[in-house]
Amino acid sequence: MRWLALYLRSRRIPVALAATVGSVVLMWSLWTATSNKRDVDVQMVILTVLLAVATLTATLAGPDDALEHTGSLPWPRRRAAHLLGALAVVLLLLLATLATGARFGPAGLVLRDAAGLLGLTALGAVTVGAARSWFLPLAWTLGSLVLSLPDTAWAQILTWQVQDPRNTAAGLTAGLLAAAGLFTYAVAGPARRAPAEAAL
Amino acid sequence: MMRTVSAAETAPTTHPWAVHAEGLRVRAGRHLAVDGLDLALGTGVHGLLGPNGAGKTTLMRALATVVKPADGRLTLLGQPVDGRADLRRVRRALGYLPQQFGFYPRFTVREFVEYLAWLKEMPKTAIPGAVQRAIDRVGLTAKADARMKTLSGGMLRRAGIAQAIVNDPEVLLLDEPTVGLDPEQRLDFRTLLRELGADSCVLVSTHLVEDVVVACTDVVMINGGRLVYQGTPDGLMAQGEPGDAGDSPAERGYSALLRRYRAEQGR
Amino acid sequence: MSRILRIELRRSAAAGTALVLLVAGALLLYASTDGWASGWMALAMVQRQYLVLLWPLALAAGAWQARREQRSNVAELFASTARPLAQRVAPVLAAMTIAVVAGYAAMTAAAVPWIIGTVSYLPTAVFAVLAVGALSLVAAAWFGMAVGRLVPSALTAPGLAVAGIGLLLVLTPTAVGGHEGVTAVFSPTQGLGLFGDFRTISGRVSAAQGVWLAALAVTGLVLLAAETRRARTAALLPAVLGAALAILVIPRGGDFVESPIDPVARELVCTEAGPRVCVSRMHAGLLAEVEPLARQGLTMLAKLPNAPTTAAEDTNSFLDEHAQPQRPDTVTFNLRVDSDGHLADDRTFLPEMLNAAGVNAYACGNELSRPVSRAAAYWLMEREPTAGAHDPAEETAQTRALWQSLRKLPEREAAARVASVRTAALACESLDGLLSRSAA
Repeated sequence: MRWLALYLRSRRIPVALAATVGSVVLMWSLWTATSNKRDVDVQMVILTVLLAVATLTATLAGPDDALEHTGSLPWPRRRAAHLLGALAVVLLLLLATLATGARFGPAGLVLRDAAGLLGLTALGAVTVGAARSWFLPLAWTLGSLVLSLPDTAWAQILTWQVQDPRNTAAGLTAGLLAAAGLFTYAVAGPARRAPAEAAL
Repeated sequence: MMRTVSAAETAPTTHPWAVHAEGLRVRAGRHLAVDGLDLALGTGVHGLLGPNGAGKTTLMRALATVVKPADGRLTLLGQPVDGRADLRRVRRALGYLPQQFGFYPRFTVREFVEYLAWLKEMPKTAIPGAVQRAIDRVGLTAKADARMKTLSGGMLRRAGIAQAIVNDPEVLLLDEPTVGLDPEQRLDFRTLLRELGADSCVLVSTHLVEDVVVACTDVVMINGGRLVYQGTPDGLMAQGEPGDAGDSPAERGYSALLRRYRAEQGR
Repeated sequence: MSRILRIELRRSAAAGTALVLLVAGALLLYASTDGWASGWMALAMVQRQYLVLLWPLALAAGAWQARREQRSNVAELFASTARPLAQRVAPVLAAMTIAVVAGYAAMTAAAVPWIIGTVSYLPTAVFAVLAVGALSLVAAAWFGMAVGRLVPSALTAPGLAVAGIGLLLVLTPTAVGGHEGVTAVFSPTQGLGLFGDFRTISGRVSAAQGVWLAALAVTGLVLLAAETRRARTAALLPAVLGAALAILVIPRGGDFVESPIDPVARELVCTEAGPRVCVSRMHAGLLAEVEPLARQGLTMLAKLPNAPTTAAEDTNSFLDEHAQPQRPDTVTFNLRVDSDGHLADDRTFLPEMLNAAGVNAYACGNELSRPVSRAAAYWLMEREPTAGAHDPAEETAQTRALWQSLRKLPEREAAARVASVRTAALACESLDGLLSRSAA
């Protein structure tokens, strides 16, 4: 348990979790205050999932990954657990709203989008570092919300975040992103950036 | 490479001391790191010694006008810098290398030094020449167009020294400048220090007693936020006795001063 | 300062921002070109619509750039330098401004090759629309930088982007309860009105939007350059003043014309020689494509007595209050522009033009018989009627039957019946039985 507590602090997870909860609560309050429909608009659901994933991106890298890499601890399984834990947090928060007056659903959409976006973020953390890993998920998701394409398979893959939960092309895309992200992040870890003050 | 010297620089100074602190008190967080310090520094290289936590970095910060003194009087180049003074004039003649040197990783060395020169409000036409001169003086000419993030620790420190000296400051504050420098680079640095100390007030905070003894004209030792000793390096070495801890006369002098000061405080 | 500006353009987020705006914008534009292939104004308006993605991205870019000082731990070093904060941020501000304007302009430039061959009408209002779009991105970048500096957390940039797109998606007239004028002020993607040919955006709307966006930019500037908390509260002033002034300028309530028509775009441009074919000034680039087809139609109509001698584009647009009445010597045709900028679907051109023997019956209140109209058209074209994709089978069968019966008749008799269809349609009378009546 001691290791877990130290790990959580090294990744600044308590702060990030507070931000995740805060952002979901904020979106939930916005909806309840401005609308009396029980089911939240799908656009707002997707934006909430995006925001929740974004709050957790900073936790994907520690202050000095090069140093941590020198330890003998088997990191892959812990990194995988980290990523799955992040998914669990997002799902828990959003699916908990299904019992309240503002329902962020459907559950299939939330699961697919959270898994896919987290996978994409993890891929970003491996390639360009955790600080920049939210660029692509954000731009892609906002683009999908805005783009209106004819209903071909390519369009469904390109705008997978906004498709119906039962759509297979979108589900496969998200699944692929999630699996790729989980695997590469677990094996390779975040991109190792030297801390800014390399002098000391 | 030489530079032109303006008439203002060759005019005689009107202030007796470049740095003059009387009863200076500076906070670091909630803790009073500098507690009643009296210090007078003129032209020359002054080495700042002291144990960790003695308040060296906080003193440097106060002299660099990064933090405001909580109490006491601080005068830099004849201008008071406590209270609500206008610090722009003083800062133009200031050079500072912090202990934790932050930099823009994507800038090249030349660009970063140029940026700092601009921030110190150097005249626009003088900047390119001054930047080149500063980079040459620290020995980074080969790496002048390399990005800062590709530099090793020692080179980064030298880049930090370059930005500190680019505006030929009258008060130069270097906090741990020799970290990461190899022995040859340290020798070059000592030469540079002597050059700089010829016509400006340089304050070097370091743990390397040998550097202080060789390159500095004056040694300042503080502990617990107060002045313990100010004098020549020979004077420091003379303080030591054979029984004191240390492998060189300077180190023995250092330990002796510390021992005596602590004994005095205990009483 | 210019050397520092050059350094910042190379080393800050400016280049990346411009690239992202260009790529995202170009992708959006080319994903569906049929919205903007018809004219420069349409392009400008569609670009403004796509600000719904670009504006939040600019906010995020500004917030990301502003965190640079905090990410790099330079605070202590810079605190010992002489230049005040306002002057220190000037080069970065300038670099980000150049970046977003260049990105938006490059997005326009990327679309130019697609329509340069077919579009000739360039009203000055287009530049106002583009300028407001660019100004909105500048305001977003400045405001994003201000927020990024005030809240230097890693979450600021994505949070700001989500907030931005949320705001733009919400600020629609339907959601706000009908105050089109006010939503037009605060959202650069609104105030564009209905899409369609000949639409434009009034100068007052662009001016009001410009005022608010300038105020937003100044607010960001004040927040960014202010060092003390008191100075930051001064940032409220431009925001409040700008909002108030913009709401005063924008036409509100009943005055707000949702989609003003550009009268110059509707003016007819005609061919010099031969039977006159006219198109609207907006479609003047397509005159060469339309001319042969229209002349064909005129030739076909020449079988009838009192045949029209001019073919002109139907410039009445949807929901038009001032529909131009039909003149008996002119036959109108419908000009639709395809997604590649050229004339759309020229196979339906003639059947539509010759419908009801060359009468546009939309202005009539009552619905004239479609089988009769179409049979007359196909008789004039001397072609067998083809079924349209959405036509009910029964109607097509009736059309065919009427056409067959016309073909059996001698030339003069058929022409007389078709002429009577034309006369009746011009007077908006019913067409029932005109083609099938027994010889009178």
